[in-house]
Amino acid sequence: MKIHVYAGLKDYFQPEFEVESVVRNTDELKAVLVTINDKAEAMLSSCRFAVEEGFINNEYKLNQHDTIVIIPPSSGG
Amino acid sequence: MVDKGGAVLSAGPIDMSGLLAGAHHPGAGAVVLFSGEVRDSNRGKAVAFLEYEAYGLMAQKVIAEILVTAREKWSLHIAVAQHRTGKVAVGDTAVVVITASAHRSEAYAANRYIIDRIKHEAPIWKCEHYADGTQEWGNNCNCHSVTGDPSRHIYESHG
Repeated sequence: MKIHVYAGLKDYFQPEFEVESVVRNTDELKAVLVTINDKAEAMLSSCRFAVEEGFINNEYKLNQHDTIVIIPPSSGG
Repeated sequence: MVDKGGAVLSAGPIDMSGLLAGAHHPGAGAVVLFSGEVRDSNRGKAVAFLEYEAYGLMAQKVIAEILVTAREKWSLHIAVAQHRTGKVAVGDTAVVVITASAHRSEAYAANRYIIDRIKHEAPIWKCEHYADGTQEWGNNCNCHSVTGDPSRHIYESHG
């Protein structure tokens, strides 16, 4: 699945990359991402996840063809 | 811009005068304008400028929903918000919220509700660029440390 990250997460990951592992939900995705860069673990625990411009939670069943956007805590304004 | 479907993100300077000029309504006895502007210091360090990044499609969707909710909750005649992206200089406007209602209490309350929710919920981020050449993604919403859930927020203006 394709992953897009923003803001401070770009200090840990490329802005866009792909995860080949099969992950079924956001908790499993976070676990895979931590194996890519364990320094991102704390930040990932504060992030929201979105698919097709809608927020998802861990109950959402991820599809391998989904594009997942990982959204750090907002700091607009 | 407006809850009639205008742009809520701007890559260039916000036309605050233009937004205000368009925010008058015969049924509105009160118009409140909030302008969030770039300070010259943060955490004791001199700020050179800010750079805003947004997940554009979703930011527009989130802000539009906030405006619709505020408009219904306070029976507003007008609810407008526009947020900058890109580089914003010290003293320049980063975000504007305008609300117009029959009486001032609704316009004030709605305006604060809108800016609070934008700051917590809209996928927009600021990077502080300091005068000493350093930079950091700053002043993130930290509600998750209290609520335990990145999607649950604590607002100054409402429960």
